[in-house]
Amino acid sequence: MVEYDSSLIEADRFPNRDAPLSGLAPQVGPDADRRMPDAGTVRLDATRPHASRRSDPEPDGTGLYVHVPFCRSKCRYCGFYSVPVAGRHTGRLVDCLLRELDQYDGIEFTTGYIGGGSPTALPAGQLIGLACQVAQRLVSGAEFTVECNPGQVEPGLLEGLRQAGVNRLSFGAQSFHPAELELLGRGHRAEDIRSSVDLARRVGYDNLGLDLIFALPGSSLTDWQYSVAAALDLGVQHISAYSLSFEPGTVFDAWRRSGRLSAVEEDLDRAMYDWTIERLGQAGLRQYEISNFARVGCECRHNLGYWANQPYVGIGPGAASSAGILPVSGLGVPNAGFCVGEPRGMGVPAMTADTDHGQGAQGRDGRAPSCSWAGRPCHGQGARVTNNPEIESYVIAVENGAPIPREVQPVNAADTLCETAVLNLRRRAGIDLATFARQTGHDALRTFAGPIQRYRDLGLIEVTPGAVRLTAPALPIADSILCDFAALE
Amino acid sequence: MDIQHIRNFSIVAHIDHGKSTLADRMLELTGTITAREAKDQILDSMDIERERGITIKASGVTMEYERDGETYMLNLIDTPGHVDFHYEVSRALTACEGALLVVDASQGIQAQTLANAYVATEAGAEILGVINKVDLPAAQPELVAEEIEHVLGIRRNECFRISAKTGLGVKDLLDAVCDLLPPPADRRHEPARALIYDSHYDDYRGVICYVRVFSGTLKVRQKIRLMGEGSAYQVTELGKFRPDMRPVDELGTGEVGYVIANIRNLGDVHIGDTITDDARPAPDALRGYKPPMQMVFSDFYPGNNTEYPRLRAAFERLALNDASFSFIPQNSQALGFGFRCGFLGLLHMEIIQERLERENDIDVVQTAPTVSYEILLSDGTAKRIDSPSELPDRTQVQEIREPFVRLEIITTTDTIGGVMKLAESRRCKLVKTDYLSPTRVLFEYRAPLSEIVYDFYDQIKGISHGYATMDYEFTGFEAGDLVKIDILVNHTPVEALSLIVHRSNAEARGRKLIIKLRRSIPRHQFEIPLQVAIGGKIIARETIKAYRKDVTAKLYGGDVTRKMKVLKRQKEGKKRMKSIGSVEIPQEAFMSVLDTSD
Ligand SMILES: Nc1nc2c(ncn2[C@@H]2O[C@H](COP(=O)(O)OP(=O)(O)OP(=O)(O)O)[C@@H](O)[C@H]2O)c(=O)[nH]1
Ligand code: SF4
Ligand SMILES: [Mg+2]
Repeated sequence: MVEYDSSLIEADRFPNRDAPLSGLAPQVGPDADRRMPDAGTVRLDATRPHASRRSDPEPDGTGLYVHVPFCRSKCRYCGFYSVPVAGRHTGRLVDCLLRELDQYDGIEFTTGYIGGGSPTALPAGQLIGLACQVAQRLVSGAEFTVECNPGQVEPGLLEGLRQAGVNRLSFGAQSFHPAELELLGRGHRAEDIRSSVDLARRVGYDNLGLDLIFALPGSSLTDWQYSVAAALDLGVQHISAYSLSFEPGTVFDAWRRSGRLSAVEEDLDRAMYDWTIERLGQAGLRQYEISNFARVGCECRHNLGYWANQPYVGIGPGAASSAGILPVSGLGVPNAGFCVGEPRGMGVPAMTADTDHGQGAQGRDGRAPSCSWAGRPCHGQGARVTNNPEIESYVIAVENGAPIPREVQPVNAADTLCETAVLNLRRRAGIDLATFARQTGHDALRTFAGPIQRYRDLGLIEVTPGAVRLTAPALPIADSILCDFAALE
Repeated sequence: MDIQHIRNFSIVAHIDHGKSTLADRMLELTGTITAREAKDQILDSMDIERERGITIKASGVTMEYERDGETYMLNLIDTPGHVDFHYEVSRALTACEGALLVVDASQGIQAQTLANAYVATEAGAEILGVINKVDLPAAQPELVAEEIEHVLGIRRNECFRISAKTGLGVKDLLDAVCDLLPPPADRRHEPARALIYDSHYDDYRGVICYVRVFSGTLKVRQKIRLMGEGSAYQVTELGKFRPDMRPVDELGTGEVGYVIANIRNLGDVHIGDTITDDARPAPDALRGYKPPMQMVFSDFYPGNNTEYPRLRAAFERLALNDASFSFIPQNSQALGFGFRCGFLGLLHMEIIQERLERENDIDVVQTAPTVSYEILLSDGTAKRIDSPSELPDRTQVQEIREPFVRLEIITTTDTIGGVMKLAESRRCKLVKTDYLSPTRVLFEYRAPLSEIVYDFYDQIKGISHGYATMDYEFTGFEAGDLVKIDILVNHTPVEALSLIVHRSNAEARGRKLIIKLRRSIPRHQFEIPLQVAIGGKIIARETIKAYRKDVTAKLYGGDVTRKMKVLKRQKEGKKRMKSIGSVEIPQEAFMSVLDTSD
């Protein structure tokens, strides 16, 4: 776990930066006036969250993810990058998030997602202000989600977010068992989940999701059934049910090593998973990805973008952006996103003209013709760019208009094929052959003929006229199959 | 150089008795290498040799030495000590008139000391006894001298007492090489004949032949003929190892060096062949080498079937540099195209496999080594098989004969009990016992090769606290009460896992084997039964459980790089596996056939 040295952005060093929450009127930092959206417009978007829902959405476009790297306290199982919020000058970071977002000027995002960490660890005014700015960058009708911690939502906050344009909330419920919540180190009680969901409803949200974790050490099938039943009682549109994984560096991982905890038996994990699929299905929450269930039309479109391997921009410390989207440099420079070609080295954003498919980085509108920038398919060369997680170096870089320290992971044509296949196959819909061909320029059936044949023979993969997908028995053991799609044979 | 001043000699000894270290001192004393170039065991130039600290290939070097105001040309060949590389020693000796038989002063005569003394004698080499490591506190040079006299008939007062480490006595030994070893026979005026005793392939220059000239002279630009294949080439370069390759204009009678003639066809060069003058060919070739007898066989398959041609090319090169290794194409229904390879022993096999992967970067899947068997068919004819999978149907087999060896074990008297017990449990029959000294004994056994070729050496080493050494020599095939064990994986017999064993322990071996397989075959998406069949009857079963849960719970944008890496690693793990039906069997599983431990 990265220990964050708070000295750089301690609140008391920048007392005037922390904008107070005054009523429901969102204000953020010095630029707030310039950026405040017209409330009417925002409300209009927010009031028609179903505007463009389709029954089986195949998103295209570019997603926007904003990472808030703070939490009230650290949960014991959590491997995300986040630091305790106490004593941080959160306003300064939020300003930086907005300035980083500015670097992608010109892109209209089709989904927005503020996640973390815990966005709700921010002072309400800052979170609302952040949401306002993000909303401005979304196309009309876009799904816009904010992750919320149960018990960390106030009427004012939820109302402000709604007005800003947020139309979907995802609650990190995890469990409804007091003992399990205690073990997880979550700062909330089961009651907080219920009251937070009720509140969200009352404020007017009609697209709500809950995250749950199963296979907790010491838990039984009955325990899990209890939490699922409680979640269903709340009538949410979306449930993500994750099997616990022991992430390196977490308290859980250390406890497991020392023998204080142990993972549940594989058979129990399996039984819980099988039961979940069945039970949620009965309740009208259709499984649409390995761990995700939703009412038809309420699938998380932002996350569907990841599994479709559509481009996305990640803002904030530790956030990742997909192939082809990289701002030219720090602040102040007009955006010129372009395919980064094959970067010459790690950690160095490759931004020289000769990496731009020979087009010249600033050539025409700075875009290479066959690249995935802003939603166009990228046939091959590219990179995934991940901001370094350290908050202080992020803040310093952004404030000084310097390039944000980031790791550039080259993604070549073969990687793109494999990643697209692996991500697609996590969806119940699997690989849509036509989309795959359009996106990668290759025929999935031919490219992955070997594994498709092998697993088809075993009844683990099925090929329909337009798609290739995992069969139901393949889901619990998907990695043992997907690994054969992770590299070309 | 006139022939009277040439000396050709090999250094031979049991493993680790200090041959390569002695060569180091000689190279220094003769000024062949400077102090700056010096490093320990400089002639062990292959990476594997340096890493393992053992000599694998014999290597020659030419030195010049002043003795009583006269300059001698000394051609030294350092040889390996391990039993598996015995063939290297016998080939080196044919290029020499003399041999230095080195014995460790703290260990005395060991199994390969004897074996090497026999070959040197057989090769007609003049032997000088050398007692090394006299600097060690545990050295007992007088006792060892006595042993040498008693066992080898070299008089104790004629043995040289040296320390290859400190250099003590090495100069006297060099003087003795000049004074006591004979020069080569003078055949300068006969047609040129040079024996190819080794070779290697160079990407730029083709095959490089290592030769000893027995008669006549080889010259640069001379047209030569390889007498075996009859093909002719023009010499582009001649040279000597000093120890790196140094060109010379000619190699005269008695000299040792290399020949380059732009030979690209690897099949033209055979170790043991004779090079002669194309214009004035010798009437007959030199006596070559009797082909080595491979003791163990194992099938090698490329991890990926498309690599077959590369694997073939790699084996061709290796064979050029290792005359004791054989390979023939093999087509297995389950494993695809590969090669059946023959080796002199397990270390030899390990080395070849490692060189293959290192020098050629090819992933191979290898089946467990086996000895060969002679099958007496019901029609009265005999047939050799190098793999249990070739065993004909039971109804056609009258008798299965297995290879037997003469096994020599030298150990200390206080460990006799343990060693004898082990030998007995491995079906070895004691033939003779000999006391080398009051505390050391030499056993001779008649032993089935299959019982002693795999883990036996490690076991007697353990029982004797490292003191026992062994050597063996093939004597012939003998009938035994042998049966074939078949292994069925997911109801399919896997030939590469079959083995032929003595009936008395067939069932126990089979049961152990499937337990090992259960541990080494990874879980699959389905349950895999493992069964043992003897004579067509299933006698035991184990089950590999199916995966119940193996899936990444979360995979979103920021996780892609890391999760793809994890999946790739999972896939990577399947690289050295072979799929039989829909079961992926890893390399270790094939090897578990060998493991007789619990
Ligand atoms: N103390 C002492 N150690 C020696 C002497 N000669 C060799 N050694 C050591 O014995 C070990 C084996 O020496 P090598 O020269 O590699 O033996 P080798 O006979 O060439 O071994 P193989 O080629 O593997 O058969 C090394 O650790 C040497 O340093 C000696 O005179 N005195
Ligand atoms: S689980 Fe969520 S709230 Fe808990 S530490 Fe992790 S990011 Fe923060
Ligand atoms: Mg050596």
